[in-house]
Amino acid sequence: MTKLYLLIRRCLTVVLIFGALTSFAQQTVTGKVTAADDGSGIPGVNVLEKGTSNGTVSDADGNYTINVGANATLVFSFVGYVTQEVAAGSQSTVNVSMQSDVTSLSEVVVVGYGTQDKKELTSSVTSIKPEDFNKGTVNDPVQLLQGKVAGLNITRAGGDPNGGFNIRLRGISTFGANAEPLIVIDGIIGGSLSTVDPNDIASIDVLKDGSAAAIYGSRGGSGVILVTTKSGKSGKVQVDYNGSFALENVARSIDVMTAEEYREVPGHIDLGSSTDWLDIITRQGNAMVHNLSLSGGNQSTTYRGSINVRNTQGVGLKSGFRQLNGRLALTQKALKDRATFTINLSSTTKDAQLGNAAAFNYGILANPTMPIYDNTTTSPTAGGRFGGYAERDIFDFFNPLSIIEQNERDKMETRQMASIRGEYDFSDIVEGLRFALFYSAQRETDFYGSYAKKTAKFGGRNGLGFASRSTDVRLNELFEATVNYDKSLGDANLELLGGYSFQDFFNEGFGLAGGNFVTDAFTYNNMDAALDFDDGLGNVYSYANSNRLVAFFGRANLNFNGNYFLSASLRYEGSSRFGDNNEWGAFPAVSAGVTLSNLIDIPSVNSLKLRASYGVTGNQPGESYLSLQRFRRTGSFFFNGRFGPSYGPFSNPNPDLKWETKAEIDFGMDFSMLNNKLSGTFDYYSRTTTDLIFPVTVPQPPNLVGTTLVNIGELKNSGFELALNYTAISKPDFTWTVGGNIGTYKTEIVSLQNEQFNVAETGVLYRASMGSPGQSAVQLVRVKEGDPLGQLWGAQYDGVNPDGTYKFVDINGDGTIDPTSDNDRTVIGNGMPAATFGFNNNFTFKNFDLGIFFNGAIGHELLNSYRAFYENNETTTINNWNIVNTKYYDPSVTKANVNSIHVEKADFIRLNNMSFGYNFPIKSGAAIRNFRLFVTGQNLFTITGYTGVDPEVRYADTDPDPDDALAPGIERRSTYFTTRTFTIGLNLGF
Amino acid sequence: MKKTFLRKIGMIGIGVTFFTFSCTNLDEELFNEVTADNFFLTEQELIAGLGAAYSSFGGLGNHSNLWSTNELVSDELIITTKGGDWFDGGVLQQLHLHTFTPDNGFFNNTWGMLYGGVNTTNRLIFQFEQLKAQGNTSADAFIAELRGIRALWYYWIMDGFGRGPLVTDFTDTEAKGASTRQQLYDFIESELNAVIPILPTAKDASTYGRMTRWVALTIRAKLYLNAQIYTGTQQWQKAADDANTIISAGVFNLSPSYRENFVINNGGSTETIFAYPYDKVFNQGFNWPMMTLHYASQTVFNFTEQPWNGYSVVEEFYNSYSNPATNPGPQGPVWLGLAVDANDDGVPDTQGTIDDRLSNFLVGPQYKPDGTKAIDPAFEGETTAQPDPDGTNLNFTPRINEIGPNAWRQGGARIGKYQYEVGGTGNMSNDFIVFRYADVLLIRAEALWRLNAGSVEALTLVNQIRTRAKVDAFASLTADNLLAERGREMFAEMTRRQDLIRFGKFAEAWGFKPAKAASATTYSVFPIPKAQLDANSLLTQNPGY
Repeated sequence: MTKLYLLIRRCLTVVLIFGALTSFAQQTVTGKVTAADDGSGIPGVNVLEKGTSNGTVSDADGNYTINVGANATLVFSFVGYVTQEVAAGSQSTVNVSMQSDVTSLSEVVVVGYGTQDKKELTSSVTSIKPEDFNKGTVNDPVQLLQGKVAGLNITRAGGDPNGGFNIRLRGISTFGANAEPLIVIDGIIGGSLSTVDPNDIASIDVLKDGSAAAIYGSRGGSGVILVTTKSGKSGKVQVDYNGSFALENVARSIDVMTAEEYREVPGHIDLGSSTDWLDIITRQGNAMVHNLSLSGGNQSTTYRGSINVRNTQGVGLKSGFRQLNGRLALTQKALKDRATFTINLSSTTKDAQLGNAAAFNYGILANPTMPIYDNTTTSPTAGGRFGGYAERDIFDFFNPLSIIEQNERDKMETRQMASIRGEYDFSDIVEGLRFALFYSAQRETDFYGSYAKKTAKFGGRNGLGFASRSTDVRLNELFEATVNYDKSLGDANLELLGGYSFQDFFNEGFGLAGGNFVTDAFTYNNMDAALDFDDGLGNVYSYANSNRLVAFFGRANLNFNGNYFLSASLRYEGSSRFGDNNEWGAFPAVSAGVTLSNLIDIPSVNSLKLRASYGVTGNQPGESYLSLQRFRRTGSFFFNGRFGPSYGPFSNPNPDLKWETKAEIDFGMDFSMLNNKLSGTFDYYSRTTTDLIFPVTVPQPPNLVGTTLVNIGELKNSGFELALNYTAISKPDFTWTVGGNIGTYKTEIVSLQNEQFNVAETGVLYRASMGSPGQSAVQLVRVKEGDPLGQLWGAQYDGVNPDGTYKFVDINGDGTIDPTSDNDRTVIGNGMPAATFGFNNNFTFKNFDLGIFFNGAIGHELLNSYRAFYENNETTTINNWNIVNTKYYDPSVTKANVNSIHVEKADFIRLNNMSFGYNFPIKSGAAIRNFRLFVTGQNLFTITGYTGVDPEVRYADTDPDPDDALAPGIERRSTYFTTRTFTIGLNLGF
Repeated sequence: MKKTFLRKIGMIGIGVTFFTFSCTNLDEELFNEVTADNFFLTEQELIAGLGAAYSSFGGLGNHSNLWSTNELVSDELIITTKGGDWFDGGVLQQLHLHTFTPDNGFFNNTWGMLYGGVNTTNRLIFQFEQLKAQGNTSADAFIAELRGIRALWYYWIMDGFGRGPLVTDFTDTEAKGASTRQQLYDFIESELNAVIPILPTAKDASTYGRMTRWVALTIRAKLYLNAQIYTGTQQWQKAADDANTIISAGVFNLSPSYRENFVINNGGSTETIFAYPYDKVFNQGFNWPMMTLHYASQTVFNFTEQPWNGYSVVEEFYNSYSNPATNPGPQGPVWLGLAVDANDDGVPDTQGTIDDRLSNFLVGPQYKPDGTKAIDPAFEGETTAQPDPDGTNLNFTPRINEIGPNAWRQGGARIGKYQYEVGGTGNMSNDFIVFRYADVLLIRAEALWRLNAGSVEALTLVNQIRTRAKVDAFASLTADNLLAERGREMFAEMTRRQDLIRFGKFAEAWGFKPAKAASATTYSVFPIPKAQLDANSLLTQNPGY
């Protein structure tokens, strides 16, 4: 810590010396901005000194004051108006009349280390603003984007309130090093989304292609998502309150037999009751959200502060959280407005009850004739071996309600973020020169506690009780220095950016776990009461690790005539995680665009821009120290009559380890036509990832252990993306807009080898074990050179044999059927979608508005594990559990054995979001600025043929830890049920 | 003026230096792991480093490793498929039926454990040789110990896989192809020859669980005993001599009772030549109660974990203890077949030889600590394809109805060899016996008998073992009664596969395995694991796979 501080101070000193030569020559310009159509003053207009970041905002009456350098040009911009440039010369008053803008292409988007006018973009970037965000109860910022961006998939199977989302941009371009896009929040690279409340977000910009992401170098390989939070505006003080209340119910689970149905099955075990376990372990959930924000400011200071409270109870018993988030953004100008300081602070605390995924698993398995409690009472009677809960003393079975009620699993999250940015405008010395320093620190703390009661069959260690506590702390410190230089060269405008970035990560934590308690009274709050520690059986650990990134980067944007655009960038980046022989890498990008509609006249086309880009990005190894020869405790050994520790190596060092390299080309087109009623964006991309980071089996000796993490193989993705918006009706009292987007995906594994290594001699790799009981050695996914990623692999169903086993196709035609060998196994599905899409309709009628949003995915299959294990009349299934009872149930099957019959098409379309609102008319001069009531339904229905819990694409297999990105397409057995949510809420502004 | 200029240049220089060495510094700092730079410096650290040579033995007590593989391909143990449990793509049945293939994970686990051990000993030998060069006087003893351990790894590699890369130099970074069985044999023999004279001879706390002269002699005796299989050349006399060296040293004695070798605190046994000390606290990983016992056995032993119901004893093998014809001795009630107890008095209805070594098994009805019967609610009911004959009570019947898919959950005697701790965890505190004096007596007996079928000493030695087991002495030795006696004495001690091969019985039928000629050829060595062939293009597969 101290070391880093010193280092940063040194680096700062160097940079400050570099920028410490200044002098001033200033003038003040005032004026009024009015609307051309009615002459009224426009508040909130951005007034910027061209080529600088020096700017201000017009006040409530449209008046502004700005200090500018000599011969400055002022740029006036405001959403919905045509941006104007006026040379101030030596004038002290500049009044401007703004024309309203009908083209939708004028929009500022956030790009890496800056912003850009959408018209000038030469790479594929999608910007989503709050009006397009998903409505209703949204606890995670990425959920705002679900289905909104072509090629961006945000998925969460089931409705676990504490569950995270999988984010995939343009499919997958890694073997798992990091498949999720890099998140950048207000300049904080690797920012934690849990520091941001969805209510505080001003825009989310998605850098889709390689050229846009290349400025983030070795971490841009899976794309970049830039989150910009709301900041204060000068002018009137604003107070906004958003509040909502939601009710949540189970939408989908999986069909199992009722007690009556189960009693019809020969060999059933009748335990005398009728219990609907899926109902017993769920409830009606609810969610409350309050957001209060205060903002305002004057010409030199703006601020915005907000408080967000969230209180959620999921449909699964004991799953939910309470969260408090506070955020403050402060901007202050100084040194005659040449310096701008921005401070952002955020703090989040979250207390979560994690529930228990196993309850969903055993809720489906539980014999429906089993009573909930012993002695058929309606509540557990204390005492007894299992605390009054009915249990069956058999393997792999637990009373689902007891799992929940006799186990605690709690998590406390704390997130703290602070950043400061200082920018200085050198326009008086060198026109268009700006210099900025940025420092941020983000600390995330997760603190866990769990307890299984002495009487809990699940986790309770046969009467002893078991508790654990652990904590993980992650620190992310970033220091950056940037220089911007904007220059007008006659017809051409040149924007240059240069920068240095230094980032340090430090992770640490510890934990302890032990059992054997005398009483349940302490739960996890008195760990020293666990007699396991007295007996030496308790488990204690601690750890720490760090990594560092250093980068130099630069970018040049050239705008010629407003018709031709060219951009080139380079990030030269080093990471401590790379091996000594490959510590630094270069990540270049180049892109160009032409506004064709300015050059030739195309009938009924209002604007048309073509662009092409190429960019190289990387992906980091997932761990530190992989290039070092490390030793740690490998066990114990008996030395001189007692046990002592033994130390040995546990991994093969790889000093050649480097980043995964992804090169991507993108051809795109932005257009609007039919009097700007129809606008859209089209992209084609093709990306090739090489040097994928993957463990390969190596001979031992000479290697120390049997696997080494190496750079190997090649993966190729391509696809089309189309986003369209059409204004069908635009009348003063009634509007109807239709929009949609679709992205297609094609992912091919080109190679699984390099000059030195082979992932597998045969070019084939198998992943994803089916699991216990009885199918652990069955691998469900094949990864094969030359084939698409995501192949589900297994035996081909061909009916049922008289003995109740599955009959399979003799695929190689040799007369014997051997479903356990590749001779008679084949591709039985693919877990990756061919396309994903979103589709929305928005209506306004007078003060009413209605939004209807569908999303979906097609072309993917899912392996339904529930059916593969439990949809049969196998003795074990009937004796121990319940039978899954979908339309595929075939009572003649008496042997569980996963095969193609358990792979189902999972195409779906979902009414993701429907929102109806009313804006109360506000009289001018009223204390209230706006008042809106709304009701939103989320996940209202899903159309699909899939019989499992959730047809959503599974981009990674969640059974192994960490998730396996190479094994998509499997619905595992403990999927949280999906939920349907109804929210009512209000927005109130003063 | 000039001075200022120079100072400026200097400043820039310093600035560049800062930039180069601080602001671009990507050195990694370790916090909870060590590197060779800051470890292996003190004696305590060196001993901890040496310990890694023994940690490699940790796989002995696990499922699907060296021990499991050797036992499951023999006639001692079987894992049946019990409804939905224990099918696992057929790999378990394949081991019993001798239809196993190179992609069976048991072989790769075994290979990994053995070559991991080779690699660690190579590394430590290299490290201690460097210390020796620096004048460290205790290095020689450590090097001898490590060479002995390495010879044991190679002995197991040669015995199991037949062939394998012979790597002895840690600094050699090239992968190697497989050496022949003869080459491995020669290396093991010469290494043992070299270290036997210098290894320690004490039997006390300082050598418990460590490589001693006696351990090395036992390995060499076993190498010679099987030499004909390994090299085609008999070495009976050498085997008898090595065994005799151990016997005549008087360091070891048969324990008064067989059971004493396997109790929870078996560290004090007079019979143990080499044990790998396990402990539920200090050195976990001896998982037999989990691997063999029934789910409901949790209530019998009050285990904190629920067992997995995997390994059972092949019925014929179990019966070899009670058969009065082949194992003469005192007769009494023993559980046989379906373990019937018609009057429910807890006493078997069937009669047979009462061999002390029946303590190797857990069989018959199981009782909880309070004396009531343990219950299996998931027993196979009347309507199932293979109803459990005695209903819901947990009763380990020696009878196994089938290998799968509907083997009885309670079918087969269970491994009871090591005493299970009531209230224990999934990890036992008993020490895993690798080599035992009784084996040495039987090695000498067999070697002498091979040289002279009428050897009186051989008969005396075997009868020494039988007397301890409280069964009648043999009148003479035959191939059949010698092999059967080795089986009864050495059950689950990883000698059976070797014995069956040496006695030419590996191709015969047992359990659900039909007689199969290829068992004596192809399947008498393990396949080179597929993952290893993929990783090392110089390796080739054993013939027949």
